[in-house]
Amino acid sequence: MPFEREIAEHARRREKALAMGSKRKLEEFAAAGLLNARQRIAFLLDEGSFQEVGLFAVSERPEDRDRSPCDGVVTGYGRIDGREVGVVAYDFTTLGASSAPVASLKFQHVRKTTIARGIPMVILGEAGGARIPDVMGARGIARTRSHQVYDRRRQTPWVTAILGQSYGSPSWKAAMSDFVLMRKGAVLAVSSPKVTAVAISEEVDPEDLGGWRLRTEVTGEVDQAYATDQEVLLAIRRFLSYMPSNANEPPPRAPVPPGSGEGMERILEIVPEQRERVYDVRRVIDVIVDRDSFFPIKERFAKVLTCGLARIDGRTVGIIASNPIFKGGALDPQACRKATSFVVLCDSFNIPLVFLTDTPGFLVGVEGERLGLAGHIMNFNHALEMATVPKLAVIMRKSYGQAYINMGGTADEIAAWYSADVSFMDSAAAVNVLHGVRRQTDPERFEALRSELARDTSAYDLAAGFLAQDVIDPRETRAWLIRMLAVHENRVSGGVGRHYMATWPYNF
Amino acid sequence: MKRIEVKAETPGSVIRHEVSPGDTVSEDDPILTIESMKMEIPISAPVDGRVVEILVAPGDAVATGQTVAVIEA
Repeated sequence: MPFEREIAEHARRREKALAMGSKRKLEEFAAAGLLNARQRIAFLLDEGSFQEVGLFAVSERPEDRDRSPCDGVVTGYGRIDGREVGVVAYDFTTLGASSAPVASLKFQHVRKTTIARGIPMVILGEAGGARIPDVMGARGIARTRSHQVYDRRRQTPWVTAILGQSYGSPSWKAAMSDFVLMRKGAVLAVSSPKVTAVAISEEVDPEDLGGWRLRTEVTGEVDQAYATDQEVLLAIRRFLSYMPSNANEPPPRAPVPPGSGEGMERILEIVPEQRERVYDVRRVIDVIVDRDSFFPIKERFAKVLTCGLARIDGRTVGIIASNPIFKGGALDPQACRKATSFVVLCDSFNIPLVFLTDTPGFLVGVEGERLGLAGHIMNFNHALEMATVPKLAVIMRKSYGQAYINMGGTADEIAAWYSADVSFMDSAAAVNVLHGVRRQTDPERFEALRSELARDTSAYDLAAGFLAQDVIDPRETRAWLIRMLAVHENRVSGGVGRHYMATWPYNF
Repeated sequence: MKRIEVKAETPGSVIRHEVSPGDTVSEDDPILTIESMKMEIPISAPVDGRVVEILVAPGDAVATGQTVAVIEA
């Protein structure tokens, strides 16, 4: 047989690289019910679609060559629902997936291809940090600088999943991504508990340092957390199903599932007639959008505002909805941060925005001021002014004060439900502020003053000045949105916006 | 077992309890309802667990960050 020796050597080398790193670590992964890097890639991508790059890459240090298959990172291309993506999976079994120069070249290669060819980038992160001794010394650390990594302009979507301990490299990638997921039990932090304990002379619980609750509820850096690797990987596929492959195309359109819109009649039972009663806006969203299409973003962070992707008539939309069940739907600094990053995401990838508004205003007070509330409100407003995607707003009940502007007041089309109440502030609160009269002390005078201040605040008053384009029955909301999304399709540019915020930060 | 303090996220006055000590609750179940910003706003369980005690009574004023109940999870 010709090339017999070469064929055998090729097979031997390939097998060695595919076997990844430490056998003991691979067994530990399996025993813990976790997938390893190659299993994750196989589960994530369409069957048989993975095209690897860098299978034969190893550490540049001669003493590590034999024990650094792929230099600790599995890289390549594959398909998700038939569409190409770039993928980088950190292999924790190989030297803790620590970052090193050859691994970095591999990352940069995939990144460059995804930008040049217009396909999303998926990063499956898990790493102990930078590799020692590779990064030690002046030359070691200075060589880690890379414009190839930190220069992001949102040309294509980036998704990062944190699936194990993540310190250094994958944590930076997560912080630069459009969508971030985490497996519960994984840890996302700048440096490991060990390094941290040495630096600050204090033992640190990894969950306190970077557990899923901290990241999804307190800092909002992670959008979604799931119990298993598999659930995380399925959520990546689902996220990308809403997204265009790159910023130069509109999002894909999906078939409308049967039964969509059937719940519209129920909307009158979900939203209470009395404005002092609260409800969970997610139930409203569920009946309006295509069946089962709502995909929340940062659901556990700043719950006063529900944000998420969904489909209406098969079109991807980004929903920004007040959720009165939490703090009455009053907007705090965290809610403004969440809204700003969501507007940037949607605008960068040509996703129209839909507001569902029911807010008493901003949550004023010492706590908000200490967090710089005014700056966060203006970031949110600035993002809305920069956005060139279609913006549609439905004012459900309250919309007061400056928050009126943030929550749809700048939309291309505004519909008010007949239950809308729009003013500088709630009329009862205004009586307290302007006249210093409380209902408890002087009910008669209070009521007289309140009814005076409650004049000209109805949906019809807004529509009379053409400041809303229509007054609708809540049950007509889905039909109105379907028509307006069709009217406002951006034909002039083929559904592609101007992306003025493509270089905005990822965290606010 | 861990004792989890349930805290008020907005200032207001307590209208009513929604559960009693000893009751089992799931995450996001309302523990009590307060009036704040002219609305009736629930204070809900942050985790699944059992209510150990409720520290405020109807009519009481609560401040932001005040512990209003304790859950064992």
